Parts: sequence; C-alpha cells; structure tokens
Amino acid sequence: MKKRFIFHIDVNSAYLSWEASHRLQRGDSLDLRTVPSAIGGDPETRHGIILAKSIPAKKFKIQTGETLYSARNKCPDLLIVSPNYNLYRQCSMALKEVIQEYSPLIQQYSVDEFFLDFTGMEKLLGDPMQTSYLIKDKIKEKLGFTVNIGISSNKLLAKMASELQKPDKVHTLFPEEIPSKMWPLPVEELFGVGRATLRKFRDRGIRTIGDLASENPDDLKRYLKSYGLLLWNYAHGRDNSPVRYNNSIPVKGIGNSTTIPFDVEDESAAHLVLLSLAETVGMRLREDDYCTSLISISLKTKDFFYYSHQKKLHLPTDCTSVIHQIACQLLAELWQGEPIRHLGLRVSELSSNNLFQPSLFEKDIEKQKRIDQAVDTIRLKYGAQSVFRSAFLGSGLKPLSGGVIETEEYPMMSSIL
Amino acid sequence: MKIYMQPIESMVWFNREGIPHPLRYRILTEDDAYKTIKINHVLFREEEKVAGNRMLLFRCQGEINGVLKVFELKYELSTCRWYLYKI
Repeated sequence: MKKRFIFHIDVNSAYLSWEASHRLQRGDSLDLRTVPSAIGGDPETRHGIILAKSIPAKKFKIQTGETLYSARNKCPDLLIVSPNYNLYRQCSMALKEVIQEYSPLIQQYSVDEFFLDFTGMEKLLGDPMQTSYLIKDKIKEKLGFTVNIGISSNKLLAKMASELQKPDKVHTLFPEEIPSKMWPLPVEELFGVGRATLRKFRDRGIRTIGDLASENPDDLKRYLKSYGLLLWNYAHGRDNSPVRYNNSIPVKGIGNSTTIPFDVEDESAAHLVLLSLAETVGMRLREDDYCTSLISISLKTKDFFYYSHQKKLHLPTDCTSVIHQIACQLLAELWQGEPIRHLGLRVSELSSNNLFQPSLFEKDIEKQKRIDQAVDTIRLKYGAQSVFRSAFLGSGLKPLSGGVIETEEYPMMSSIL
Repeated sequence: MKIYMQPIESMVWFNREGIPHPLRYRILTEDDAYKTIKINHVLFREEEKVAGNRMLLFRCQGEINGVLKVFELKYELSTCRWYLYKI
C-alpha cells in the first residue's frame, strides 16, 4: 500500500495566542504570549478556571483546569483575560481556510486542531516536510499565531508528534521513530490515557509508553477490557482511523449542561434551569432528525458531589416539554435538596423520527410537535433569543443554556480519533 | 512611527471593484476639537487577516500642521470602522 502522510495541525496555546494576535492587530503594544498570562473564566458567574496559559505562565507551574484562585497564588502578577468564543471560532475558520488549500481531505478535530491527509498530494505540492513548513509559516505570517505540525503515517502518531516540543515546530513520528521518540515519554502523554487509566497503570508499574508497549496485551485486557488492547496498540503506534471529512462520527447522544451563577436551592428554579437545557437539547435533537428514548440528568452540588439518574421511555420523543417533564421527575427522585451548582441534561438511545408509533395511553402530542416546530423555525430565522418562555421573565436565568456559544455549534474535543 | 489605533471619521470613495480609497479623515483632538487631515497620496494598500479578522491597511501621505507626514489607516471589514493606526 502507498505510504500515507497525515498531518496534525495544533495551535499553540490556542485561546491565548488568538487573543494575543487579536489584540496586537488592534494596536495593543503588549504581546500576551511574552508575559505570564492566561485565559480564564469569569469568577463572577463561577466559571473560574484557567482555560489556556502562556509559556511564561507555564514556568510558574500554572495548569489548565486549575482555579483562578490557585493560579493567582502561584503567580500574583498573572494577567487573566476573559474568553471570547466568537473570536476563537473566527480564528478557527480562518485557519481552516488556509489548511484547505493543501488537501481536499481535512478533518476539524476540535476548535484548534486539524487533521490533513496529504497522501498523494506530494505529486502536486512536493515534499511533505517542506509543505508542512510552508503551512506553518503561512499561518504565522497571515494569521499571526503559531502552530505545531506533526507528520506521520496515521492520525494517532501525527497527533503524538505535534505534542512533542512547542511552539512553532514541525515534528515527524513515523513508525520507525517510535522507540526513540515516543517510548521514553511518560505514559500519561499517550492519547487516551487519562486520570483514571493513569492510576491503574501506576499501580502496575507502567510509567512510560515503552513500558506499556512491552506489556502482554492479554494482561491489559484483564483489567482494562478492550480499551487496554486499544491503548496497547496505540503504544505501538497502530491506528487505522480515516481522516473524516466533516467529522462524520455518528451521534450517540446529545447533552448540554450549565454551571449556574448562583446555588439553586428551590425546586422551581431547578425546574427552570432544566427547562433552559431542555430547550437547547430539544432543538439540537430535532435539528438532527432524531427521537430519544433515554433521558438522563446529572447534578453537581455546591460541595462538588456529582450524581446522575436516567429513565428509559416507552415512546421515543423529540418534544421539549416531554423531555423537560421527565427531567423534572428524575430531579425529584435524585435530589436531596442540597444547593445545586451545575445541572446537565442528556438524551441518548436515538432513533430516527420519520416513523412514529403513537400510544393509546399518552397525551396527543401533535399540537406540541407543531409548537416546537414553529419555535424552531422562528429561532432559526430571527435568532435564538427571539422567542422564549415567559417563565424566564425576571428569573435571572437564561431561557436557553448549555453549549459554549449558546445555541450555536462549537467544535469540541472528542476521544474518538 | 507610533501605534495609536484611534477610531476616526473618514471620507472614502469606493471604486466599482469595491476597493476603498480614503480621501480625508478627522480625529477628535485632546482639547475636544476636530482636526481634519487630507490624504494626498496612498503609498500602498495591504490586506491582513490576523486572528481571522480581515482588515485593510493603507500607508498614506498627507499634510499635518504644515508638515508632510506618512501615516497608516486601518479599515476593519467586519465592523466598517476606520482607525488611525500609526503615525
């Protein structure tokens, strides 16, 4: 088979670089990338964690995901900037435009990551290495931020390669380079190894990716099931996932969650939050032409305890009110009355909505369906805030919630390559 | 040149291809008075797309307080705003 060339293009500290180059363009004299700085949520609405940090901030051991409070303790002069998701989407689209010029087959893996299949393109554009430098420099020159490009023969290795050394670098990680470049790395650097798996590996003395590669796959299967085998293959650099155009992974579930600016203690406010989530989830469900037969809610209390609860439906539905009604039932069964910080609503077991089996014993939902349809159309045409339920008037809660930019699609990370 | 990035009011003509040609601009000075500057000559025009935001940059020449000066104007396409970028 012909040798594949896959590029993985990753923006260096994306949110921060984007903010920095945006500010420079607008005449700011300070480049955020040269001082200890970070993009962090708004502590007022309790979204107070670090989302991205500059390289000078990294020297203070500031980590993505830690609270602003602890970051400020480590570095009192840390410059914290609020996130601007519309800017990030705009940067992401500009990046996509540049990358598209180099291959017809690209995959947007997240807001700041792209895969590009260069296989066969070398006949048109020449050496892959040279082209990757060209792409990197063009992005830097035209868009004002730096990227790392990883090159290999599959997506996994390309992704691992782009993580090697930052910023503004091109790395290769072809299968023959695995023992020298990938195996000495700590095992948590491997794609797919998170907190939970890391603990299991540590208990068994697996510290580097090389240690994992030399394990017996049957042993791994014993305590990690099929996932162990997958990780073992990853440690050997084996992956055959295609570069998916349009990121076409079939949807298994749709969910939204929100951190509420205040602790919710009364039932009616909790129901309103669930309704605002049901609105978003319902709209997304209907947009993709699905019905759901499994509804689950999750809640996080003020003390960061996390519970969840789910219910199977006899009749698949795509109706906002039905979803909300069941979510409220679930809440009643789950909630002990502790102050709630975070609520989530998720629907799964999706089925197509073009055939529908009505039930003799349930309410006629035809009218409700028509209302949902009308509301969706109005919102599509005049904006998401154009029509909302009067229950939200004066409640201080948003009529639709969840999602990074409310009611708009925002490319999120995925664990599937 | 020093970066100012001050919003300005401007008079511009657009040709049939949609390319703007700045003619004059006015800026609010510190003592709250308007000062109008005529653009004698556009030296060059450049498009930039930093952080995905399209802007047109004009290096211009004009008379300011009796002295011929070079300055740069910026036009932000997404907001249709003009700025005095550098002088």
